[in-house]
This record gives sequence, C-alpha cells and structure tokens, in this order.
Amino acid sequence: MARRTLTNKIRVLRFHAGEMTQAELGEKIGVTRQTVAAIEQGKYSPTLETAFKIADVFDVPLDEVFRWGER
Amino acid sequence: MAFREKIAWLTLVTMLLAYGVYFGIVGPAFGFGKADLVHIIVSFGLVAAAQAVVMIVGSIVLAILGRREANAPADERDRAIERRGTMAGYYVLIVGMIVVGVVMPFTNPPWKIINAALAAIVIAETVHQVFVLLSYRRGWHG
Repeated sequence: MARRTLTNKIRVLRFHAGEMTQAELGEKIGVTRQTVAAIEQGKYSPTLETAFKIADVFDVPLDEVFRWGER
Repeated sequence: MAFREKIAWLTLVTMLLAYGVYFGIVGPAFGFGKADLVHIIVSFGLVAAAQAVVMIVGSIVLAILGRREANAPADERDRAIERRGTMAGYYVLIVGMIVVGVVMPFTNPPWKIINAALAAIVIAETVHQVFVLLSYRRGWHG
C-alpha cells in the first residue's frame, strides 16, 4: 500500500506570485526561510494556523495549497 | 543552515570535546575524585568553565555572522524540534537518575556516584542535541 503523506504546491504558488522568495513568504507568515523550505520539501508539516496563513498569502483555499495523498 | 541548528552543532561538538577530555584525560588524572571529592569539583569545574567560554564565544560569532536570524524568535518548527529533543533527553536523564540515585548508593562509593551522575547528564544532553540535529536534517512532523 502506498504511503500517504501531506503534499503541497507552495513552490508553484510562489512562482505564480511573482517568484516570491521563501524568505518573503516566511516573513509574511512569521516563520524562518528554513522552515518554509522544510515545508516545501515535505520535511515539516506546519500547524493549522500557519497552513491557513500560507493559503491566505496566495489568496487560495487551503486545499489548493495542501493535499493529503501519495507523493 | 538555520541559526538554531548551528547552535545545536556548536553545543554538541563543544560538549563531546569537553566531556571527552574530562572522562578521558582530566578525570583519570585526578583519579575521578577517588582520593578527595574536591578533585571532582576542580577537574570538572575547569572543563565545564572551558566549555562555557567556548560556547559563549561561539554563540557570539554565530550571532554576528547571522545577525538577522539570531534576533528572530524561534518559530513553530524550532519549538517543535526543541520539544522533541528535550523529551528524548528527559527519558535518558530519568533512567540515569534512577540508576545513580536509587541503585548505585547501595553498592558504590560517592566518587563513582557523582561521576555517574555527571555522565548521565552529559549523555542526556547529547541525546537531546542529536535528536534536535536529526530533526533539522531529516525533517520532523511534530
């Protein structure tokens, strides 16, 4: 059975937001650049609050940023 | 590399070096306080003081090199990783303290008990820092 995990489209969303940097996104949501990088790489699952903040920055619904599924 | 990860590396390396020197060189030279318990205070105190100085200087250098990050408060990932490391170290410390405080007093002299307690603290802190570093390197979904 394939392992299900939290995936995200933050890299794509950053690209569509004028190639927003990880540091800029981190500043907007109150985390470090390294934490944004860890979230993007699937090395860290953010809290619900931070997940909503990310969706808010890109002005999209939460499930457009994060998905629960196979990699 | 995150500022707090660098601090964790600095802590781990200085601690392993310092207490490697204590348990490998300075401690045996003073007989681990077997003849006089004051020798433990002198030898361990010297090593602990040296480690503290290196930690302070190293932390200042890292803070100057990464001033912006050093001033920023720990974020949620830093806190989650710190909690994981603390929890792992806590369990090791509890086992160590049970051995040192409950088992050893029945069969061992004071100088052995004191050194075993110091070793338990060093091992617990090592486990703490290793868990922190592993969490930064390999990820942690806490």
